[in-house]
Amino acid sequence: MDQAAASEDILLDLRNISLSFGGVKALIDISFDIRRGEVRAIIGPNGAGKSSMLNVINGFYHPQEGEVWFDGKLRGPMKPHQIARQGIARTFQNIALFRGMSTLDNLMTGRITHMHENMFWQAIWKGRAEKEELAHRERVEHIIDFLEIQSIRKTPVGKLPYGLQKRVELGRALAAESKLLLLDEPMAGMNLEEKEDMCRFVLDVHDQFGTTIALIEHDMGVVMDIADRVVVLDYGRKIGDGYPDEVRSNKDVIDAYLGVAHD
Amino acid sequence: MSPAVLNTIEVFLNGLMAGVMYSLVALGFVLIFKSSGIFNYAQGVMALFAALTLVGFQTGQIPFAHLINVVFGTDYHHWGEGMNTVLAIILTMLIMILLAWIVEKLVLRYLVNQEPIILFMATIGLAFFLEGLGDLMWGANIKVLNVGLPSGGSFWWEDVTRTWASEGSDYYGMYIDVLDVWAAGIAVVLVVALTAFSQFTKTGRALRAVADDHQAALTVGISLRTIWVVVWSIAGFVALVAGIMWGAKSGVQFSLSLIALKALPVLILGGFTSIPGAIVGGLIIGVGEKLFEYSVGPMIGGATENWFAYVLALFFLMFRPQGLFGERIIERV
Amino acid sequence: MIYREAGDFKTSYSADQQTFPIGFDRWTVRVVVIFAFLVVPFLINDYWEKSILLPFLIWSLAALGLNILTGYCGQLSLGTGGFMAVGAYACYKLTTMFPEVNILFVVLLAGVVTALVGILFGLPSLRIKGFYLAVATLAAQFFLVWLFNKVPWFYNYSASGQINMPEREVLGFIVSGANAEPWATYLFTLLFVLVFAVIARNLTRGRLGRSWMAIRDMDIAAEIIGVPPLQAKLSAFAISSFYIGLAGALFFGVYLGAVEPTEAFGIDKSFLVLFMIIIGGLGSIAGSFIGAAFMVLLPVLFKNIMVGDFGWPTDTVQHFIFMLVGGLIMFFLIVEPHGLAQLWRITKEKLRLWPFPH
Repeated sequence: MDQAAASEDILLDLRNISLSFGGVKALIDISFDIRRGEVRAIIGPNGAGKSSMLNVINGFYHPQEGEVWFDGKLRGPMKPHQIARQGIARTFQNIALFRGMSTLDNLMTGRITHMHENMFWQAIWKGRAEKEELAHRERVEHIIDFLEIQSIRKTPVGKLPYGLQKRVELGRALAAESKLLLLDEPMAGMNLEEKEDMCRFVLDVHDQFGTTIALIEHDMGVVMDIADRVVVLDYGRKIGDGYPDEVRSNKDVIDAYLGVAHD
Repeated sequence: MSPAVLNTIEVFLNGLMAGVMYSLVALGFVLIFKSSGIFNYAQGVMALFAALTLVGFQTGQIPFAHLINVVFGTDYHHWGEGMNTVLAIILTMLIMILLAWIVEKLVLRYLVNQEPIILFMATIGLAFFLEGLGDLMWGANIKVLNVGLPSGGSFWWEDVTRTWASEGSDYYGMYIDVLDVWAAGIAVVLVVALTAFSQFTKTGRALRAVADDHQAALTVGISLRTIWVVVWSIAGFVALVAGIMWGAKSGVQFSLSLIALKALPVLILGGFTSIPGAIVGGLIIGVGEKLFEYSVGPMIGGATENWFAYVLALFFLMFRPQGLFGERIIERV
Repeated sequence: MIYREAGDFKTSYSADQQTFPIGFDRWTVRVVVIFAFLVVPFLINDYWEKSILLPFLIWSLAALGLNILTGYCGQLSLGTGGFMAVGAYACYKLTTMFPEVNILFVVLLAGVVTALVGILFGLPSLRIKGFYLAVATLAAQFFLVWLFNKVPWFYNYSASGQINMPEREVLGFIVSGANAEPWATYLFTLLFVLVFAVIARNLTRGRLGRSWMAIRDMDIAAEIIGVPPLQAKLSAFAISSFYIGLAGALFFGVYLGAVEPTEAFGIDKSFLVLFMIIIGGLGSIAGSFIGAAFMVLLPVLFKNIMVGDFGWPTDTVQHFIFMLVGGLIMFFLIVEPHGLAQLWRITKEKLRLWPFPH
């Protein structure tokens, strides 16, 4: 057995991940890990490969090289929905809500990995399907309370303003009660107040549910405040990894952000 | 050569000719799809409508005669002897431009940014509307369309091919309709003209710009609405040409609008945005269904032309979802 | 003043998510169902049965089916006519092979057969989307109709190539064939429609329905949050085809009695059902009924008025209806893509607050 897999407090371990599209190399030999219960930030300039990284973690992209260890097990070839079932939930950079459905239904869809009654019982509804539905509704209502979105419970999400949509999307990811929560720029395009709200939610989630979080964020202030550890990517390579203070003083990182020419 | 080989060649050639018709309709689809992302189901009905209108002008029918007669109890049918073919074609073209303008004015502008599938369904509605309108205006009976193109079998070709047959066989020679050859010729001219138009004129450049990116085209001052009217007018023109050809071949009737459906598999093979693709796709489907009917058809009861194109496209899609000339799709989130 | 929700507080989640949250609605529906079962059978005559009630019920069932696939799961299908043909021929083959089996089960089995065929033609949906999928369903439409025309086994080698429904009984009452009473065919069909409307509502309100809608709204995100696309799409195809197969079996067995595939199940039927769900409302159970009612009643209405009262020729009226339907499709897609069902909902919202809208 491997030393990392044996180590209890590592939830996700990425080893030598390389990903390319045709000739374009999106990620080159990247390794890092995420510990149980921490907030891990992935930062880097535009086009650094951050979103590709998240897509690898939840299995939407399949890296050509490297291994993904999740919860102590090496991941074989899997579809994204199977990986979601293992306990990885995420939000998206460009909101990917189900626009035709209400807030409540969006959140209930987030719980889909926990619902199991088969087609027959659903057709009957009375009895097992209804019981399951109500049990999950209870959990979802809890999240609705937590995110303070009671008043838009039955509103189609397509009609909601941007900030609220982001919040609903966070709710949908929370509803999955996953082991690992991936947040792709949860505060992009928000004003200061909305950002502060969102920060509070992220931290509360972390405190109350003890969820492990990996997030991508551009706002350095936010990242340095809420992240336990930070990974820095640039041009598909890892150029920094460590506690916020270490990363802040890392020369490569400063160069990448100030745009020093690569030689 | 043995008669069997010659027969196969004949089937092949006829398939090519039928394919030209599919290509002509598919061409109209591609034009509209490229510039507006709309899959215009009504393209086939536009061909029908154009042909109906042309015949109406030629023979001097009064539009809506039936309706007028039942409402006012009159008995009008014609207003004269009809008009010169060239004049009728020009008038029909004006009607098609008017139609493009109305469609933009009343339908398209309200559907900007809708999902493709909604737009597609809207054009199905348009198809029904136009079909009803065409029939109401000109009557639903099958009409003969004659614009003076030669038609009938080519005796010259029959004589030539007869000499190809091996000695002693009683081979009659191949049949090929002169009209089909004309249609092929006109299709080639049309494609060349359209390509030249989109490459060398200002409007053509604007068209390509819109096809690439609506938003960007808007920001550099191209009027999307004007472009749409232009494109739908051109598609109307292509529909008119297709309508003339098809109508001259098999009469102006409802089945014309069904070739719109056949254009779907053509486009799947050729890709929705490629003019050469539309041509090649049309030819493949035309040849494919004729050869299949000729070789396999008799064994399984015939009339395989009804479904061959769709099933071929289906199989094709399983292996190459992006079409023959389409680019590989990379999905993103 | 009766139609309101003020004071009607929901105290449990189950009360909150019932089908008709407003008391007045619940009572209306109950009254309509009781009326349909207990009163209509005594009033019904041949004209009402053949021109209005049976077509309405059968097309409602087909519209429910297509709405599950297109409205809920977002997979456009132009193969409805072909799948109805499968239901009709399955019903015919089964009932002629096993005459002793109750027709109720035969119709259900016809649905199951259609569901299997639906899954087969739904397989391409895993790789292809949008118009591309429409072509796959067109292949089903044309190929299936062709098959039923050309393979004599399907029509039991009859000389005409038609299939004719033999007489069948339920509980001693004849429900098919020439001797069936209008009330019997009506009740038989009504039973199917009602039961399966309830089931459709149940399927769409829970896990399965949400996974369909998730696929419809954003398929990639749906897969990433854990909706298995294979299961979701194929179940939509299967259930949708089941409904359409039922509709086809009833259309042939109970309504028409004799069928020739190109006539009865052509591409025009596919469009008809598509129009029903667009006009009625995509992704709405009530919309399926409203759309079916609209598309069945509109031609009847126009024929009665224009042909009957004004004495216009039938074909002119027919063209008029074509124009009207085409125009309405565009109108609805532009103004209210959720169809009449949504308009009705908005009216109700207004009604709730009336006469004090603020």
